[in-house]
Amino acid sequence: MKPSKLLGMAWLNLKHRKLRTVLTTLSVVIGITTIIAVASLGEGFRGEIKQRLEHGFELDVLIVFPGSFVAGLREGFSQSDVDYIKGIENVTLVTPLITVPLTEDLELCNETGAKLGAFTIGGVNFNEMRELLPQRFTLWKGEFPVENETGKMILGYKASIVNETMVADVGGNVSLILSHGFMRWNFTVSGVLAKGGTSGITNFDYWAFIPIEDAIKLARNKEKPYQIILVKVSNPQKAESVAMEIEKHFSPYSVTVFVPTALIRQVDGILNLVQMFLVAIGSISLLVAGVGIMNIMTVAVMERTREIGILKAIGAKNRTVLSMFLAEALLIGVIGGLIGEFTGYLLSYGLATVLANFIQPSGVSIAERPEVHRIEMAPSFSSLWMLIAFIFAIAICIIFGLYPARKAAKLNPVEALRYE
Amino acid sequence: MPVLLDVRNIKKSYRMGKVIVQALRGVSFSVMEGEFLAVLGPSGSGKSTLLHLIGCLDRPDEGEIILDGKNVLRLSDDELAELRLKRIGFIFQFFNLLPRLTALENVELPLMLARVPEREAREKAKKLLELVGLGGRLNHRPSELSGGEQQRVAIARALVNDPKLVLADEPTGNLDTKSGWDIVNLMRKLNEEMNQTFIVVTHDQKVAEVADRIIYLRDGLVEGIKSVPR
Repeated sequence: MKPSKLLGMAWLNLKHRKLRTVLTTLSVVIGITTIIAVASLGEGFRGEIKQRLEHGFELDVLIVFPGSFVAGLREGFSQSDVDYIKGIENVTLVTPLITVPLTEDLELCNETGAKLGAFTIGGVNFNEMRELLPQRFTLWKGEFPVENETGKMILGYKASIVNETMVADVGGNVSLILSHGFMRWNFTVSGVLAKGGTSGITNFDYWAFIPIEDAIKLARNKEKPYQIILVKVSNPQKAESVAMEIEKHFSPYSVTVFVPTALIRQVDGILNLVQMFLVAIGSISLLVAGVGIMNIMTVAVMERTREIGILKAIGAKNRTVLSMFLAEALLIGVIGGLIGEFTGYLLSYGLATVLANFIQPSGVSIAERPEVHRIEMAPSFSSLWMLIAFIFAIAICIIFGLYPARKAAKLNPVEALRYE
Repeated sequence: MPVLLDVRNIKKSYRMGKVIVQALRGVSFSVMEGEFLAVLGPSGSGKSTLLHLIGCLDRPDEGEIILDGKNVLRLSDDELAELRLKRIGFIFQFFNLLPRLTALENVELPLMLARVPEREAREKAKKLLELVGLGGRLNHRPSELSGGEQQRVAIARALVNDPKLVLADEPTGNLDTKSGWDIVNLMRKLNEEMNQTFIVVTHDQKVAEVADRIIYLRDGLVEGIKSVPR
């Protein structure tokens, strides 16, 4: 029998049992809706998180810290460490940082003696920092010291503005005061960095930068003065291999190399796993639909036993009878799948709106850091997921329809004809 | 006249609950091409079982059935289906039309199974419905037709693939006397005008008398064969 005729007859039979067909199709619709909604929301959420992470980090910049979580804090790096890293393949730029925490004992004040908003003094090579972090290490006002002259300072945005008041502006004088005046270093503010924006490890809002030569004077260990080494690689894909080379140079666990791409990959991997898990749970509803189809078709085969006998008597082959029943399962799968994709699409947006209110960063942090914008909860529809769900719907219907259809095909025609 | 069907010593038993019923205990006869044969017997004589075996719906336990020179017992299930489709037409006591299809679609069904092109199938089905006198009821469903009309549709369906052999199982058994006779006369007319071979199973002596020959069946054995003089 021609496929078009088979489908035509299947349609006729489905139409004849309207309520049953509608309910069975509904179960497929629910299954597909669930899968589409879960998959697209998961996909959207994953994309959003990934984008945020990529935004928060320079993907081609590695950050090397002394010590590790396993072995505890270690002393800083020496110039020879920096030189070694410079020699690694695919490394394009290396710049060390000296960090000095601001404490009760070491304060940064303006001319009137008011404390600035900074938490940390960073000794850097300004030119190298600009080259390394061209998007992040940018000025809001003023200018960078051209030759890394001593006595110049670049302030982070929040270091210069405390409680919405500018405590140190470009051209102003600020002082580092040790032990309430025991020692004092004077600097001229030469620029203020642009607002850091999104979170990330390289957010300089609360830093005050000075030339590295000045910072060495503050360092306790003059041999190993650097607490951070920033390493730029030629290409984000090389980041992990460079990180391994760096780790090899040091004794085990004595350094930590932060690799943004690895972190993003891990987070993405976890989110992917979560998404798969949710889709798997969603798929259970489709399995339930499959069992429903099997049930309803088994009943249909029993009811239509005589009809099957007639078909066989007038010359239908076993596989023709099989195809007739499978065609019905197929139609339910196709119709249920298509409607399910559509309702899944609608449900995704509905759920996104509802969920968006639950997954925002907690209220406190929003109030303190308005730069952390809302997490967008837009579903993302990939045609691949749509296709997978659709094929899944059809596959489930056919697989579960196969048993009753085979049962119909194998009926003995004489017994089938005798069936009342 | 050449032999169309040769039935040689067929036996068939089947299980009914716990008892084994010996429906046929060794039945032999032949049918000529163009013959109108009646199989007459009381209920339980095995005549329906015989018809099912000839119609290739079932296989005998023993014996041979040679249809059109072919030993059908050597054929696979698919080949038997093909044989039923192209060489054999069935007419049943309870008409056995598909309830959701119209008269025309019911007659078209065997053509569809044989993958005859749609337009050709439609023409053929219409022609046959006109031949059985139902040209005006093409688009009625079985539930909208009388018993006699339904049986005419069934006859049209049985003939639509130009079978060599038409088998009728108590074709008048579910009809009133007049409709029953109309059907018998229609079959006889088709037999004479189209030289179509018929085997009609019945328990009605008067219906059987219409045939060229009558095979008397009792308790699974041929009791006698009688030629009906014209």
